[in-house]
Amino acid sequence: MIKSRVRIGFHLLLKRRFWSILLFGSLLFLIRWTKGAGYLDLYSVLLKPILPGTAQREWIKEGENIERNIRLKLLEKDNSRLRRALSLKNFNPDQRISAAVISRSSRNWWQQLEINKGTNDGVLKGQTVIGPGGLIGLVDSTTPLTARVRLLTDPGHQVGAWIDRTKRHGILTGMGTNRPKLIFLNKNSLAEIGDAVTTSPASTLLPPNLTIGIVQFVDEKALPSPYAIVQLTASPDAIDWVQILKNNGQK
Amino acid sequence: MAKNNKKLLIFFAFILLSSFIIISPDWLKINGITPSWPVILMLPFSLINSRLKSSIASIILGIFIDSFTISDVSYIPSLLLLSLIWSTYGLHNKKIESFLNIGLMAIFGTAFVGFSIWLQKIILYSVLRNYWFHSWSIYVLISEVIITGLVAPFFSSWLLLAYKKN
Repeated sequence: MIKSRVRIGFHLLLKRRFWSILLFGSLLFLIRWTKGAGYLDLYSVLLKPILPGTAQREWIKEGENIERNIRLKLLEKDNSRLRRALSLKNFNPDQRISAAVISRSSRNWWQQLEINKGTNDGVLKGQTVIGPGGLIGLVDSTTPLTARVRLLTDPGHQVGAWIDRTKRHGILTGMGTNRPKLIFLNKNSLAEIGDAVTTSPASTLLPPNLTIGIVQFVDEKALPSPYAIVQLTASPDAIDWVQILKNNGQK
Repeated sequence: MAKNNKKLLIFFAFILLSSFIIISPDWLKINGITPSWPVILMLPFSLINSRLKSSIASIILGIFIDSFTISDVSYIPSLLLLSLIWSTYGLHNKKIESFLNIGLMAIFGTAFVGFSIWLQKIILYSVLRNYWFHSWSIYVLISEVIITGLVAPFFSSWLLLAYKKN
């Protein structure tokens, strides 16, 4: 009896059906044990060609940028309305003149740029010149076709600036290098490395909130007043095109 | 005919050099610093001419160069003094056209002009007085001296020879 059972048992091993069922069973166990990992991996591999690619990412980014631009314009309008209400100087981005740099002397005894727009295009002495990165300098003199820009880095050149985070004003003084010095008007500057330096919103000469640079070094104990060394965000050495804010961007 | 050619040469030299002042070409710069063109122009003229002529020329050149700069600092005092020294030296020296001699004189002249501008800036801007060591001025001075020393032997000696042959 036992012998015949053993024979039947071994006989099963020779059956193809048995092996098929065993293979299916093990596969099922494997799927259950790995929680369908193989299936998921295969699914992801098959799905890869139709997944959202870089193009779609760019569309999303573009959409985000459009949304940000709309928000920025709305905020600028709001800001402009409030500044008018407070009778403060306004910054109007529409009143800009684009000009090319025709001669550059950004590292010499005189740190200046010559641009190809002059009084014929409405450029006047004292107007603000900006470039990619922020404020570059002020118009020093004009001819009918050209204008000379005195850079912020020119030794002795002084403009008002402030640190938005601490709300402390100072005088940004050119020292001949790409790092002008911000001499604070208060005894306690509260400035920290990494603070953004911008034009003061209360300024009567320059348009408000123009980026100037980033604080790189602070000396709180300096006499007669503390100072900070500012790394300019706009590099006059590399700029070929600038924008002049007509009437300092004032309406 | 030859004399006219020389005059043309001098005329073009002045046109060329004065255009370099305005354009400040990048290929003629060291660390973004251009040669001291007033020194290059003034040196050969002073060596050939009398003190009076040189000093008048230096004032005219100073006024011309100052019109291309932005601040109240001027080239005139240093150029005037240099023109007097060079004209005095040139009148007694017979070997002034020596190639290296010209370069050396241009180097000292540029250093003198540079120091003069530096000093004027320190006097004018009180903020610069707090720091006696100005990294920018040392940088500009050294670069300007080097590039002028390299350029002057060509331009200045060329002008000097043209003046002498005239």
